[in-house]
Amino acid sequence: MNALPQHLCVWAASARYSLTRALMFRGDFIIWSLVELFWMGVNLLLVEVIYRHTDSIAGWNRAEMLLLLGTSLLIQRLLMGFFWSGLYDLGRNVRNGHLDFFLAQPGSVMFMVSTRKLDPDGLVNSVVALGLVIYAAGELGLRPDLGQLALYAVLVGCGLVIHYSVLMLSTASVFWLTSAQGVEGGYFSLIEFSRMPREAFRGAAEVIFVWMLPVVVVSNAPARVLLHGFEPVWALGLAGFAALWLGLAVLVFHRGLRRYASASS
Amino acid sequence: MLRAAGKYRQAFLLGLQGSLVYRWNFAVRGFFSLFHLAAVFILWGAAFAGREQVGGFDLRQTLTYFTTILFLQFLISAFNEDYQISEEIRQGLINQFLLKPINYFLYRLSIFAAARLVSGALILLPLAAAYPFIHDAMAFPSEPWRLVAALPALVLSALVQFTIAYCFGLLTFWFLEIQGLVVLSMAVEAVLGGQIFPLDLLPPALHEVARFLPFYYQMYFPAAILTGRIGPAEASEGLALQAGWVVLLLLIAHALWVRGLRRHTAVGG
Repeated sequence: MNALPQHLCVWAASARYSLTRALMFRGDFIIWSLVELFWMGVNLLLVEVIYRHTDSIAGWNRAEMLLLLGTSLLIQRLLMGFFWSGLYDLGRNVRNGHLDFFLAQPGSVMFMVSTRKLDPDGLVNSVVALGLVIYAAGELGLRPDLGQLALYAVLVGCGLVIHYSVLMLSTASVFWLTSAQGVEGGYFSLIEFSRMPREAFRGAAEVIFVWMLPVVVVSNAPARVLLHGFEPVWALGLAGFAALWLGLAVLVFHRGLRRYASASS
Repeated sequence: MLRAAGKYRQAFLLGLQGSLVYRWNFAVRGFFSLFHLAAVFILWGAAFAGREQVGGFDLRQTLTYFTTILFLQFLISAFNEDYQISEEIRQGLINQFLLKPINYFLYRLSIFAAARLVSGALILLPLAAAYPFIHDAMAFPSEPWRLVAALPALVLSALVQFTIAYCFGLLTFWFLEIQGLVVLSMAVEAVLGGQIFPLDLLPPALHEVARFLPFYYQMYFPAAILTGRIGPAEASEGLALQAGWVVLLLLIAHALWVRGLRRHTAVGG
């Protein structure tokens, strides 16, 4: 019964440690914040360059596209801030046996592995991404009510759960493959699709990237809440996808954990 | 001369063996790059919907450009050479090269050439698998001069790529951690090298500025020759500028090496 508060306490301690560390290595923090900011700028530049030559991509105008891009970047930066470092280290920890450290901790191994480190630079840039969403909403003259904003936040949360699950599934392959390097790159290849309007997908691409993999719906669903209000199919669809993919990630992680044989694995 | 060439031939062969060990890594990376290609096809397909041309080129020419860029990324671009050089300096492994009659730049260049030979060959597999689905979208120009001009452009592009990575690696003589700087520069290189969008879609003034930067010659220039985005006059002028950048970058690399070694301290044996 006390599991949730206990886990939150552990997470808060890890977050405090990460923030203290970021303050110790301020130069590093600034450089990596700039890195993320630059890469966000690259995505923004792509949109600006395309819209110099066209008025619409799959029926979405420039401001709508910026709203979608901002939402996609917001989810991705939240993932980077909260989970990326922990999951990135998972591959290395399985290989060299350091996962023992997490097994000995009083709590869920998956939770401990995922929340060990917090990246403040990712969180700082999630504010920038949110700024992009607000700017785009202003350009479109949107005035979302409180319900829409709350639903947007919930769906961004669902998107974060899906991103986390996809990344966990990629990195958990290390239990079978010894090295997950390259497989992790698959995550970055897949999230490219989340910056595109759902209407751009036709035929086989629609089946694969809209229905089989949740990479399009993850950002389109929250963006549509601000643009068109509550659409049950999109909102419930995303929530269903989030539950399904998180379940799959939990299952695969624990299956993999059974194969872990400490330093010899 | 021949003995000197023999040394670097051995380094090349060692690099070949080292890269073949990681063939599955390259293969997986190549496979996932098809997802990137799919994303590019979908995005630009949607951008072209209802219009014949964007920036003076049709959809097939644009998709041909991006497919060529993907191939060139595996054939000539620097992957993690900067990181490898940085690690050798940080861990003191570079000391062995200081005591041997071997040029560190040429040694590293030999390894780079071997690695790109392997990754360039391996990307052909996923591209061959994708060919039945993308061949209708391909439109390469047929002028023979393009192949003649592309060959030196590709060699010089590889040199630009490698030398920039080499210079970043040498910064470890001054900074303990260069990874952040490298990833930062990757964003700049990706945009100004034409990997995100063809540079001719930039406003003309910005395109003109980009033409005088080294990043233009990392990837965009050979791809533009091969895919018909530039004519013979611009290609020959570009080759001269590209050669100029190679010379300048080599001079910078040499200066960094000489000055960096003065700061370097080798401890133990």
